[in-house]
Amino acid sequence: MKHLSPEEFVDAAEGTLDAARAAHLRTCEACRTQADSLGALLRDTAAIDVPDPSPLFWDHFSARVRERIAEQPEADRASWLSAGLRTLLPLGAFVALVIAVIAGTLLPRLATPPVVAPQGQVAALEIEPNVDARNNEVWSVLTDAAADMGIEDAHAAGMAVHPAAIDRAVQRLNKDELTELGRLLQNEMKRTSN
Amino acid sequence: MLTRTWRWTVATEPGYKVTVTNPTDAELVDACLAGRREAFDVIVERHRRHVYQLCYRFVGNHEDASDLAQDVFIRAYRGLKNFKGRSSLGTWLYRIGVNVCLNKVSVKTPRAESLDALIGVSDERVATREEDPSEALLRGERAERVRAAIAKLPKKQRATLVLRVYHDLAHEEIAKVLGSSVGAVKANFFHALHNLKKLLTKER
Repeated sequence: MKHLSPEEFVDAAEGTLDAARAAHLRTCEACRTQADSLGALLRDTAAIDVPDPSPLFWDHFSARVRERIAEQPEADRASWLSAGLRTLLPLGAFVALVIAVIAGTLLPRLATPPVVAPQGQVAALEIEPNVDARNNEVWSVLTDAAADMGIEDAHAAGMAVHPAAIDRAVQRLNKDELTELGRLLQNEMKRTSN
Repeated sequence: MLTRTWRWTVATEPGYKVTVTNPTDAELVDACLAGRREAFDVIVERHRRHVYQLCYRFVGNHEDASDLAQDVFIRAYRGLKNFKGRSSLGTWLYRIGVNVCLNKVSVKTPRAESLDALIGVSDERVATREEDPSEALLRGERAERVRAAIAKLPKKQRATLVLRVYHDLAHEEIAKVLGSSVGAVKANFFHALHNLKKLLTKER
């Protein structure tokens, strides 16, 4: 009968070798010697402990990890975008308004199935006012309203947005909505840097 | 051992709040992703000993093990959004730990434990109450020899042996951690034991 394979030696050392191969092990001295030797080594090796650090070490360890994590950006699901939101727009309420614009005006349009015109009538179709033009109107009203508002004023007015709420809102946006949000933020960045 | 009870209040919906006692790892991950960094402190406290021990098995000294274990948690924090919960958080941390150790550890130059690093680490060469001092010395020396031999094993063999023998991971879990098959893990384990035996025999 064939000798044990490396995998079977591992099974033998761990006591999980199947019955047929265990029968071979009982009759084959070469295999039995090697299996016993591996089993003994396994037991000896397993008995070697890691020296325990002092109890003080663990507090120090946690503190070091905490310090280094404080230097990291937040572990959120859309870190690049929410970090950008926080950096670019200190006015949390303003971000909420941006998302509200998209959710309130753009999303219903994106969700509406396209109207297919009957053949021959294409030339007669009226072009709807484009979404950007509508958004621009709403956008300008909102930016005018928020332009001079400080973060404290926004908080006082109950407009503060928890960072997690921003993250959650951003996560729900689809690719088109994210692109649109990115465009709006870039515009706002240009506007505030002028 | 002291155990700590963790409690915090989570707002589920407007007007509703739930107090979570001893949150699960999954709840802690969610809390971290919702911006509650203190939840990560709990993750660190829960898993730091195992992660440190894993690193120690790779490098064989306290100083490097401490640095590597810190790196493991920093990487875990950065990559928390990628944790899908398909394996336990512990197994996921082991995976990061093995990668950190495999990337940073030089097989040829395992560092010896420095005297400074030994301060604050309980010395296994000190005899226990019932043990003869000479026996304790022999036990300590043997432990050091085995650790040094493990540190000389090829990386994948070392990872397999450490995860199987000291962290009791099933072969299937080790295969996930190392990105290989169960057959390959068992073969690696066999060769790790075989080489370990050769290394220990050579030193005598």
